[in-house]
Amino acid sequence: MAIAQLSTPSSGTSVQERTPAAQRAPRRHEHVMLGLLGLAAVFGAWQLCTSVGIVDPTFSSSPVGLFGALVDFITSGEIWKPLSSTLTTVAWGIGLSLVVGIPLGLVIGRSRVLFGLTEPLISIMYAVPYVVFLPVIIFWFGIDQQARIVIVIWAAIFPLLINVVAGSRNLDISYLHVAHVYCASRFLTMRAVALPATSPYILAGVRQAVGRGLVGAIVAELFMGSAGMGYLVQKQTSNFQMDEAMAAIAVIAVVAIALTRAVAYFERRFTSWSTST
Amino acid sequence: MNANQSKLVVEDLRLGHRSRLNGKFTTACEDLSFDVQKGEFVAIVGPSGCGKTTFLTAVAGLMPVASGRLELDGRQLRGPGRDRSLVFQHASLFPWRNVTGNVSFPLQAQKRNDEKGKERVRQLLELVGLGDNGNTYPRELSGGMMQRVNLARALVTDPELLLLDEPFAALDAQTREVMQSELTRIWQADEVSSGKTAVFITHDVPEAVFLADRVIVFSRGPAHLVESVPVDLGRPRTREVKRTPEFLAITDHILDLVMQQSDHGMRSASHGHSATVDA
Repeated sequence: MAIAQLSTPSSGTSVQERTPAAQRAPRRHEHVMLGLLGLAAVFGAWQLCTSVGIVDPTFSSSPVGLFGALVDFITSGEIWKPLSSTLTTVAWGIGLSLVVGIPLGLVIGRSRVLFGLTEPLISIMYAVPYVVFLPVIIFWFGIDQQARIVIVIWAAIFPLLINVVAGSRNLDISYLHVAHVYCASRFLTMRAVALPATSPYILAGVRQAVGRGLVGAIVAELFMGSAGMGYLVQKQTSNFQMDEAMAAIAVIAVVAIALTRAVAYFERRFTSWSTST
Repeated sequence: MNANQSKLVVEDLRLGHRSRLNGKFTTACEDLSFDVQKGEFVAIVGPSGCGKTTFLTAVAGLMPVASGRLELDGRQLRGPGRDRSLVFQHASLFPWRNVTGNVSFPLQAQKRNDEKGKERVRQLLELVGLGDNGNTYPRELSGGMMQRVNLARALVTDPELLLLDEPFAALDAQTREVMQSELTRIWQADEVSSGKTAVFITHDVPEAVFLADRVIVFSRGPAHLVESVPVDLGRPRTREVKRTPEFLAITDHILDLVMQQSDHGMRSASHGHSATVDA
């Protein structure tokens, strides 16, 4: 009887991945439509308020002004330099956080001594708002890209570490026994057992790290005032170019959503085995 | 069966856990001595918590020997080895790997996952009745199917000594019955593993008698040997053997021994109703 249920077609995706998605499709469609409607309502109200003069577009900008400035940004190419600067900062910061944080977290989680030594430190660093370190980091590293990358790492690595350490500590001991009994090397045990077993935790950590890292990058740019999207928003606002400032914020919003979606995709892709159907 | 050739030698073996909290040593086995012959299928039964699983864990190399001899082919066992495989009590399959990936893991770990290895994996999946389920993930498998994968994973390395830790204990009665027959079938059918030595832990006495050439009865913990009971039932065995008077006589004898250990002499009048020792 069980065999009959399990005769999955041998195409790439398994039945489990497809069936619920297919059932969800109409509802998901509806969900997206409602979301767009909500956005449209807010933009409509904003436009209305500026058009009838309830608020002054000099201070608040307006959707029409925003989209005009956005088109100008793109056609003139003015947006690419700050955008690529911000994306480079985020990519380096997050990338270095992952390369250092994931193996470090796995190792800390497997060692009682290391965990005991580092746990209070990591908790404190996670709890303290990282922006208070900005002046110190500027003092240490200046206001160049290097310093902005440091603040992204500072923002991103602690939530990542907390999650990876938790995953590593909760690692089912029987998986390690299997690896041990069949004489798997330490490296294979780490790569083929510990890493996939903790991947739900790791990706939850990555999700938080990416969110905080992006905020870190923007805050650093606002504060250090030398380059990037944060600096652009700051500069345009100082010059009373509210349409441009709002357009820059819209670009940041798109970046934020794209990053969140990318992480969500990886979570689905690599941890589908852990979600019970 | 090649008689008089000891595969596994256990002599004056002492095993136990040292508590991390107070450093106190809890003994699981003491003065434990017996041999397992080459090609023999031995089942170990004993009261719950007597240290059977601890013993098997030590043979698998997951636990150090406190003192005494524990030798495979004349070499004292220190840690896990390629010559042994363990069929885990709870299948312990990797949920992120499909069936083929799980069965291949020991070959991958031992750098033997070449064409020959892949062919062996296919052949074993066919043998355990999962030939069409290579791409299936563990969460889609039933308990019985998981244990088939668990068994195939253990056999894939062609171990000298196969260790089975109550592999059917968590299965429902019918599935367990089927899996017992399947294990004997696989044991008799697999050219590579037939003639291999196996140690099977169980608390189910009829299961032990059905599967084994010899049943070893452990005492209450700390475990030592109570009796070694030969099972002179022919092979190949099918389910029908369980209704023969010889089978029932051996089973009764072993149940008596285990019950004496469980109750420490106080015979329970109800034991006739239940076949399993810890019921």
